Amino acid sequence: MGQRQKRRGALWIMSIEAREARQPWILLAPALTAICLLLIVPLMFIVVYSFWLKSAQGADTPGFFLDNWQEVLTDGFYRDILFNTLKISAITTIACALLGYPAAYFIARSKGNKLILLVLLMLPFWISYIIRTMSWINILGVSGALNSALIWLGIIGEPIQMLYNETTVILGLVHFLLPFMVLNIFVSLDGIDTNLEDAAASLGATRWQGFLQVTLPLSLPGLAAGGLLCFVLAAGTYITPVILGGPRDAMFANLVYEAIIRQLNWPLGSALSLLLLIVLGALVLIYNRYLGMAQLAKGLG
Amino acid sequence: MGWRLIRTYTVLVYLFMFLPIAVVVLLSFNANQFGSFPMTGLSTRWFEVLWNNDAIMRAFRTSIVLGLMTAVISTVLGVLASLALVRYAIPGRNLITTLLIAPILVPEVVLAVALLLFLNFLNIGKSFTLLLMGHVIFTLPFVILVVQARLVSIRRDVEEAALSLGASPMQTFFAITLPLLMPAVAAGGLFAFTISFDDITGTLFWKPGGIETVPTQIFSMLRNSISPEINALGTVIIVLTVGLPLMGAAIARKLSTRSGG
Amino acid sequence: MDDTRRYERLRERFQNGDISRRNFFGLLGAAGAAYGLQMPFARQAFAAGDVSQVRFDGWGGVVSEAFRKYAFDPYTAKTGIKVVDGTFPGGDEYLAQVRASQPGEYNIAHLSGVFDYARYHSFELNSELNLDNIPNMTNVMPALMNAFKSITPDSLSAAPYNYGTTGLAYNRKHISDEEMKEKGAKILIDEKYKGKIGGWSDWRTRLWYAALQTGQSPNDIQDMDAAWDAVRKHRDLALKYWASGAELMSLLAEEEIYVTEGWSGRIYALQEQGHDIGYFDPPQSFGWQECLFVIKGSPMAACEELINFMLDKETSIAVAEGQSYPPALDPTKVDLGEKIPKLPAFDPTGTLSGLTFANPNYWNGNEADWSKEFARVQRGY
Repeated sequence: MGQRQKRRGALWIMSIEAREARQPWILLAPALTAICLLLIVPLMFIVVYSFWLKSAQGADTPGFFLDNWQEVLTDGFYRDILFNTLKISAITTIACALLGYPAAYFIARSKGNKLILLVLLMLPFWISYIIRTMSWINILGVSGALNSALIWLGIIGEPIQMLYNETTVILGLVHFLLPFMVLNIFVSLDGIDTNLEDAAASLGATRWQGFLQVTLPLSLPGLAAGGLLCFVLAAGTYITPVILGGPRDAMFANLVYEAIIRQLNWPLGSALSLLLLIVLGALVLIYNRYLGMAQLAKGLG
Repeated sequence: MGWRLIRTYTVLVYLFMFLPIAVVVLLSFNANQFGSFPMTGLSTRWFEVLWNNDAIMRAFRTSIVLGLMTAVISTVLGVLASLALVRYAIPGRNLITTLLIAPILVPEVVLAVALLLFLNFLNIGKSFTLLLMGHVIFTLPFVILVVQARLVSIRRDVEEAALSLGASPMQTFFAITLPLLMPAVAAGGLFAFTISFDDITGTLFWKPGGIETVPTQIFSMLRNSISPEINALGTVIIVLTVGLPLMGAAIARKLSTRSGG
Repeated sequence: MDDTRRYERLRERFQNGDISRRNFFGLLGAAGAAYGLQMPFARQAFAAGDVSQVRFDGWGGVVSEAFRKYAFDPYTAKTGIKVVDGTFPGGDEYLAQVRASQPGEYNIAHLSGVFDYARYHSFELNSELNLDNIPNMTNVMPALMNAFKSITPDSLSAAPYNYGTTGLAYNRKHISDEEMKEKGAKILIDEKYKGKIGGWSDWRTRLWYAALQTGQSPNDIQDMDAAWDAVRKHRDLALKYWASGAELMSLLAEEEIYVTEGWSGRIYALQEQGHDIGYFDPPQSFGWQECLFVIKGSPMAACEELINFMLDKETSIAVAEGQSYPPALDPTKVDLGEKIPKLPAFDPTGTLSGLTFANPNYWNGNEADWSKEFARVQRGY
């Protein structure tokens, strides 16, 4: 019995290197398989489609045409909307970070039940996206709650037109994405030893200094993950601008949706979506580099 | 002082998040059919109508089952993948991470149509399993991002200490890493469930005949008008998710004070 | 249940060698090749054998409840064939799904009569109905069928089901009936109501009304530049393009906008709720119809029988009352009860001569250019 265990131990040590090398792939296998089968291969269809041509009537023309790509890359219309989309996403992300960080800090450091606080934050998601986006008309509309309250308080005489512009689109996006930001920051903050802040305080740093020099840097991975998530999701939304925007407000995903669904121009829609994918993919690569650096810094510290 | 400021700030953030919920809950008690303010009268009839509306109740059950299954599968896959990415030096780590996050980079309409084209090509019909797999795919990045961020901040020396004391990697994972990882696992699962529960575009394209989730049910009502049962359903869900944990906590506190006294 | 059976049938074919493994993987590899999406074997995969179910897709809520109660359940009781009903948020989304599906997967759909009929025809998704199997078809107004005949002269793929108009809806607190009558379609580009104007985000409606605003015939627009300028002007004055009936109703009810085009049935529903909203069909107001379309590859006999159930008087009235659009049944042949004749756009003569419908060949012929152009114009280009 003991003998056998010893032998197994020896075998274990012998194969330990091979195991080390194999293990991560075993861990990755299920996720990678799923992604390849359900994302990468289907995306190949989109790549192929982006080189086809839409015919005026009926089925698309297969082949290798660069027309769609030429249109997407040279037309100022697509470029303008792409930049506008990135701008709106960036504003949304910053707003989420400013609103979300203190809230996440509060949750992470509170003595109460953190899980309940987190679930509460996700609560708006249980009401369907469309319903809660449409409900802003009851809050910000000319006969909505805010205008009624302001009139009742005598601050304004006539209701203000607040809805249906770029600001309300951003507001809707922030409302949608804030929980993602908070959760990511929370997870990161929660893993930081509170003793570190106390130690900084005992060394004579003020609370604010302690936060700036200890807590904030340590929570950066969470802030970065949350920021990436907010940015990417904001850049991919199409329902919010439709419901909360004015006639002109549109994001890049609206163009993709319109090309594929409304105009039935799948080849052009494919090229447009690949462009968005490439731009966002570049961002993720940058993020990964950064996260890698953060890890490195941690290892050195 | 600073703490009080943060608390006030947080309360305001929560209020902002809850505004639409307040509208929905108020409107669910509206007597008028096309809900708008000022309300014409109070009524609980929409709750009765909801209870008797088979289609909505069925959609609600589908959404719950789908969400739970998505959460479990996604979290398991996500935790495994994150472990590999953070704890091992593997070639092409950046590329793999990008690949795993890719589902949220592709506009959902495109992913939806692409997957359908592929299935059509393989001659596989739509099914609940496909819908589930679709949901897993685009909830996976959320789990991976949140778990990775947490894993990075768990110090390796704790795990190494356990390993050096003779624990197997498996034991180390369950005894040390997983407990430390728990907040991220819970958050990831919560993400996955919530996103699946709230998804429209993908579900719209992948749902097989006869299966509706709450969002697709609502989407198809948009042309005419969203029936007030939907608001009532929202209220019921809110009451269940807020009320039950609070009640549980209250009971637990009561029991503990009694046993303490 | 049925999915399993389909799957089994496919596996059988696979095992029998109809689809060889090499072919299977060869095709998989050909994804990169241009012909990758043509499926040589998919066409027969769902060949109708014994029919155990029919799939119907339509609008959710009241409409689907009325169909289930008055048509589907009695149909299943009689024939033993199950009706699986799905819902869609719009005809465009649905067509995308059908295009990416296998033949026979979708059977009957509640579609936009004229436009979708032509589009499905151009994608070769149309079927041929045997009208002898649908006795209730004789009650349908011929005027509604004529629109289809101009696309498929020899046969029909669909049964007309209901109709309505997209006229002008206005808040009577701010706009009088006289002013509305006087200005007509031009009220939508009246500077006086800047920021209080709405409009449907649909490119056809925008161009139709632009034609009316520039004094042109909507089915034959001569001066396209003038029409696009009218679209631009409306865009600049409008607060919001709405995208659904629910939005239309809440914009008007909350007084966010005072005037917009609107779907007759939705405005009627608002009026019924006591909102002081007027509805006015200007000359050549946009008339439209909806139909029950049978998609190619469906079990025809089963679908025809189901359509007969759906065209039944009871069903038609229940659905019409649910969505407030009059049914396609000829009121001179069928007694439609009390409520239907009060619906807007209702024509008691059964000829529909007062309504202007879109000419499908004209509009669908220009769809590719105009829908793309509209996407640009909408964003300020």
